[in-house]
Amino acid sequence: MGRTGTRRAAFVLLLLGGVLVAACVAGASFGAVPVSAADVFGALKGALTGASLTPSQALVMDLRLPRVVLAALVGACLAAAGVLYQALFRNALADPYILGVSSGAGLGAALAFAAGGTGAAALWAPPLAAFAGALATILLVAALATRRGVMETLSLLLAGVAVSYTLAAMTSFVLVLRREQMSRIVFWMMGGLQGATWQQVWIVAGMLVVGLAVPLVYARELNIMLLGDERAGELGVNVERVKRIILAAASLVVSAAVSVSGLIGFVGLMTPHAARIVLGPDHRLLLPASVICGAIVMVLADLVARVVLAPVELPVGIITALAGGPVFVWLLIRSNRGAAL
Amino acid sequence: MSAGLRYDAVSVGYDSAVVTDATFEVRPGEIVGLIGPNGAGKTTLVRAVTGGARVFGGSVTVGDRAVHAYSRLELARLVGVLPQTSPTSFAFTAKQFVEMGRHAHVSRFGDLGPLDHAAVDRALALTDTASLAHRRVDELSGGDLQRLTLAQALAQEPSVLLLDEPTSHLDLNHRLQVLDVVRSLADGGLAVLAVFHDLDMAARYSDRLVVVSGGGVRAQGTPEQVLTRETLAGVFGVAAVIGTDPVTGSVQVLPVVRSQGTGVASRGVRVHVVSGSGTGAAIMRRLVLDGFEVSVGALSSVDTDGAVAGALGLPMREIAPYAAMSVEDESSTRALAAVADVVVAVATPYGPENLGNLRAITGRAASTVLVGTMTPDMDFSRGEATALWNALSDAGARTCADPRDLVRTIEEVHAS
Repeated sequence: MGRTGTRRAAFVLLLLGGVLVAACVAGASFGAVPVSAADVFGALKGALTGASLTPSQALVMDLRLPRVVLAALVGACLAAAGVLYQALFRNALADPYILGVSSGAGLGAALAFAAGGTGAAALWAPPLAAFAGALATILLVAALATRRGVMETLSLLLAGVAVSYTLAAMTSFVLVLRREQMSRIVFWMMGGLQGATWQQVWIVAGMLVVGLAVPLVYARELNIMLLGDERAGELGVNVERVKRIILAAASLVVSAAVSVSGLIGFVGLMTPHAARIVLGPDHRLLLPASVICGAIVMVLADLVARVVLAPVELPVGIITALAGGPVFVWLLIRSNRGAAL
Repeated sequence: MSAGLRYDAVSVGYDSAVVTDATFEVRPGEIVGLIGPNGAGKTTLVRAVTGGARVFGGSVTVGDRAVHAYSRLELARLVGVLPQTSPTSFAFTAKQFVEMGRHAHVSRFGDLGPLDHAAVDRALALTDTASLAHRRVDELSGGDLQRLTLAQALAQEPSVLLLDEPTSHLDLNHRLQVLDVVRSLADGGLAVLAVFHDLDMAARYSDRLVVVSGGGVRAQGTPEQVLTRETLAGVFGVAAVIGTDPVTGSVQVLPVVRSQGTGVASRGVRVHVVSGSGTGAAIMRRLVLDGFEVSVGALSSVDTDGAVAGALGLPMREIAPYAAMSVEDESSTRALAAVADVVVAVATPYGPENLGNLRAITGRAASTVLVGTMTPDMDFSRGEATALWNALSDAGARTCADPRDLVRTIEEVHAS
């Protein structure tokens, strides 16, 4: 990036950051009990200084904010995974949900939930099991979609769908075996953020930092790999190593998101794509910008899920799927006409 | 640093070896052209350097080390590649695209420095692509993309440059421009290995040629040593006239016909062609492709018709250039014509060095076809050629005004 490029990137990221803060404040204000923006900031200030909170400030700190922040983190994770998968497979239709990775992570997490446990095990087992499931799934899907070293879009999508269905069936099987846990697991799987806790926030935040920092270090390689594996190798990129690292990072952020919020589709598809259209393909800007966009989209989607049928809450996955499905179809039509990644 | 490229008994391929036991060298300052028929393994040999193809045996060496002993980054600082380009969907600008060539020179956490930008600007200037710098790569033509890909490779500042059909997408102007740049870089110490499809370009720009065919290296040497009638027939299956490029003095290849597998059934009809100065070349080629057995003469080897007849391997009385025909020349030509079923005589300048060709066919007007019209300015024999021509015509020889009717006319004359 030249100097003007760096300045533009800083401007874009600051702007998006501002929008994210505004979205979070809105997310914390709206709800069954409306809270003013002043109370949201007051709650934050109180929590930081240790001052006692008013009832509505306590509501913000204990219920609204963890949920809003977790929504932002989940959206960020899904968008990051989308960018990374799209770069790796050179395919604008790659997304953790479509590739079946979310289902893989979901099966892992469901097994962990079904196994039960208490304390630290209950907290850490779902994300770790989800990570194992996500990584195994993406390796399987990539292997299934590759014919003589070439990965066709159609095979990738079909492999993703096939693996996803199989994993969903296995997840249902787990549910039936552990009927007493069923409603809890089903509600989690549908993609909701109810009962978000600060503990979950810290776990997901930690996984996101790792899963984002590592690919950012390899952003230049990700750019070059868009030229194809062989050309990237000729230009000095150790393609196989970068692929392994990026797959691990993407699976890490997917499993972080899935383990707390179940299967939420299309955020990883839509936001990187929109960001790419506006900002171009350079991963040094695209990755962080998509991540912030993903966070914004998710906070707003969760807000809609909470208020549209209030006091009844919709699983946020329904909102993202309703918005994202048509976008996916549009992308599919566009990619058939050979549009650029 | 200057480093050469060496293949030592290399066997290379994919699932199995495509080329075996290839040994040749590209020294700094030298362009070596790889030529050979499609599918012979030229690209495979090139890809052996950067790991795109599997080396089964032998060793590929850059500088003082085998290529597999380098890390990806080390190798990218030494070897630049211009692969066969394919359409790309890639929304980066041309400049960003060329900057990717600097990857191996930039540290993991750093960005392009002044040296890198200078190298990129130099590469853009050398390939005449600076004006494209801010265009999007996926909106450019194949030729522009090919030159930018070369710029990307040059931005690597390599010691060894591998070019796979470097001019396949380029117009005439840019073809010369790109190859002239490569030539001057080679003169500055770069070692260049280039796959060429165009044999004339290969001869013009290469110091040495390596012929790849039938799973191995068939010949190597200077273009003059390698581009012979025998090599072209054996390797490419083409009968060709080997000439000299009048502009550069390099070897020039003029393919005449495919020498193998033309699939033409012989008609069992023999035609003797009297021509000269290139007036008969197209006729000979046409008749051979139509399955006639053709003899010609008499002609000298510096005559275009003589060279084409030689490439086609036609029976011919060969005579010394620029000298009058001897009595032996004439009688031997008469013997060739005598066994022919039909004689084709072409209107061309006739003088002492070829008048005997017309005399050799006198008296057989009934089986003779005259092509074109003898005009006074063609007669350098004080009227004798015109007299011979008119005598044939008066005695009933058919005249064919349009060469496209020649085969039909010959068939009619032969049938009667």
